[in-house]
Amino acid sequence: MKRKMRVLASICALTLALTALTACGSSSTTKEGTPESTNNTNNNNTNVSTEAAKDTITALLPPVSPAYQENFSQMEKDFNALYPNLTLKIEPASWEDMTQKLDTQVNAGSPPDIAFLGSSGISKYVEQGMALDITDAATAEMIADFDQAPLEYMKNGTGLYGFPAYMEVHALGGNKEFLEKAGIDYKKIQKEGWTFEQFREDIKKGVVSEGGKTSRYGFVFATAGVASKDYLAILVKSAGMPAAFNKDLKFAYTSKNYLEVLKDIRVMIDDGSMPKELSSVDAGKRWNMFLTGQTMITGKGLAVFENSANKNNEKIKANDGSAVKGSIPAEYIVLPVPSFAGQKAMASAVVDGYVAFRGKKEPTPEHKANVVKAAYFLASGKVAATTNNDLFAAHITKSGKKEAESMTVNRNPDNVAAVEAMLATASPARPDIPTDLGAKAIKLEDEVIIPKLQALIAGEITPEAMYDAVKAAAIQAFGEDGVVKD
Amino acid sequence: MTQIAKPIKRRKIKGDSGAGYAFIAVALVIFALFTAYPVLSALIISFQKYMPLGSKFIGFDNYIDSLKDPLFWKAIKNTVVYTVLTVPVALFISLGVSLLILPLKKKLQTVFKAIYYLPAVASGVALSVVWLWIFDPMPNGIFNQLLGYFGINNVNWLGATSTSMFSLVLMSWLSSHGTSIIIYLAALLGIDDSYYEAAELDGASFLKKLWYIVIPCLKPTTLFLLVTGVIGSFQVFQNAYLMTGGGPDNATTMVGLLIFNNAFKYFEFGKAAAQSLILALIIGGISLIQFKFLGKDVEY
Repeated sequence: MKRKMRVLASICALTLALTALTACGSSSTTKEGTPESTNNTNNNNTNVSTEAAKDTITALLPPVSPAYQENFSQMEKDFNALYPNLTLKIEPASWEDMTQKLDTQVNAGSPPDIAFLGSSGISKYVEQGMALDITDAATAEMIADFDQAPLEYMKNGTGLYGFPAYMEVHALGGNKEFLEKAGIDYKKIQKEGWTFEQFREDIKKGVVSEGGKTSRYGFVFATAGVASKDYLAILVKSAGMPAAFNKDLKFAYTSKNYLEVLKDIRVMIDDGSMPKELSSVDAGKRWNMFLTGQTMITGKGLAVFENSANKNNEKIKANDGSAVKGSIPAEYIVLPVPSFAGQKAMASAVVDGYVAFRGKKEPTPEHKANVVKAAYFLASGKVAATTNNDLFAAHITKSGKKEAESMTVNRNPDNVAAVEAMLATASPARPDIPTDLGAKAIKLEDEVIIPKLQALIAGEITPEAMYDAVKAAAIQAFGEDGVVKD
Repeated sequence: MTQIAKPIKRRKIKGDSGAGYAFIAVALVIFALFTAYPVLSALIISFQKYMPLGSKFIGFDNYIDSLKDPLFWKAIKNTVVYTVLTVPVALFISLGVSLLILPLKKKLQTVFKAIYYLPAVASGVALSVVWLWIFDPMPNGIFNQLLGYFGINNVNWLGATSTSMFSLVLMSWLSSHGTSIIIYLAALLGIDDSYYEAAELDGASFLKKLWYIVIPCLKPTTLFLLVTGVIGSFQVFQNAYLMTGGGPDNATTMVGLLIFNNAFKYFEFGKAAAQSLILALIIGGISLIQFKFLGKDVEY
């Protein structure tokens, strides 16, 4: 009996050890799709058949719009109805998890076939060789369906790495009532824009103070954490620097106009138009401040914010307890970013879309064609129309526009016109910037520009000190001849 | 000359030894898979420019780049400052609380142990959200309201270089002592009552008993908590990541966060691996020093 127990215990222990080993084993999944798709591809090579081979396309998708993830099963069904041999398998992810989930899968060599991400993120995956160039697999009809400007954003060098879902502008948003009270002709500004000097005076008018305490600021922009990157990037575009590199591929943020923007950032806080605690105001907080009437203008502003404000207004009207605590009815007005240093205003365009990926193994032409079909399905037609309407975003495909004709959207027509005017002057795509230069610029931005900007906003360094630090780091990264000198 | 072949000795696994080897195998396999293999991989990757489709050997470049990088040294400095400010205070608070709990009845002791251990059970993200609320920079933030009662202006706790590190340290001081309290309590309960009785006969005060009985008897426990505390503090990541993101002006960028950023933000896995091995060497060195100077007369 004792011996039997010993043998049993040994077997149990070895089983546990083997289980651990098995769990770490590779499932030999390749990036040609799922194992099923690999087998099917192989079968297709050996069996001569008139039927198209079965294939599975995987997609990692965040909640692009409020109702987007609710439609996943319908999207999978519709895709399968369109292509009976193909299966679209959607993996949902939250915005918070999206990048980390994708990066982990990419670095393990087994990313999804399609992932939703910002066009600015494409270069790092191209640099790694993991983004899939779909130039040869995208048909002429597919390409012709997209507006040219957003499609350019999905390019890097000569390669096309996916299809755009929407093109938005990073603008500002104002409270209609407060703008009118401050005597600001917002309709004129929507049409003609404004200079920083005019903007500075206008936001001063929006400040409400009593007994030394400010109950409403003129302007609050989210600058805590990653949002600080947006703040400066949006402003410098209207100061003659539409991208980190000029057309000669010289680093642009060493221009004297950059220093002017930094000075203007500081002066708005010193005026009392922006809170002195701005460096700790994150995206959630400043939106709360907008809805609760603690600021007249907020940034960054996206078209979808009008939808969020409208929904909150309805909740307030209906006495719904889920309305933001302390919020007041606020009519959201889209406003352009002011121009700086006598330069022409240029809206900051943001293009997000469906990017195609490859795994460690080169995908077969059949699988690549299927991935393109799935990406196009998601970026056009009914899916795009529904999603962009939900986001209050402009339609960028002919098929999407057609589908959207039958859908109604409750938008302020002035806002629609303002967004369209800004899109017309939006910063163009820069697929010519080499990936290594782009990667260096991102690192410089993360390790020098953002930390120094946080210190500048907190009042701990001067604009000149920040400018000098950025210039020194830029010269170190790109060389004396690699930076703009004016 | 002919050689006489020696008969091969076959070692037999006798008695309980077979089961013993099997049990050791489990631990060894798990250790090899989840500790030794990743460490070895990190060592190899640290000499490479890592790419998912094929890495390139680049020698010591990742180590040289790291040692030349001012941000790496700033992160080391920040980590040392954080460790120096948090670990000794954490030990002091844990010992103090344990001494306060010790005279209580067993049931009450358990209640307090559970209360102090609760933050360790809660999600770090949830705790950080609460702390973000406490450190709200506006005048209606919790800490700022407290300051307001004394007529002090609101402080931009996490948004200014002058206060951001202190805010993280304060957060550490006011939370996460549960494990240390439980360990200290167990050690305090292990001190023989006869020591206290003898001291009382000699008319020793509370402080004398603390100094001559409690502290020497707790030395192995204190050394253990100090070493593990320093190791944990050097690897701190979550607080900086969730509360400040390393800012402002990299004032709270710890080595752990820098390694994470290099690996998962910039995909520089080689550099991240090199920095993590440098960090491991630093931690190993500090632990050795601690054992050498503080563990001389420690008996286990």
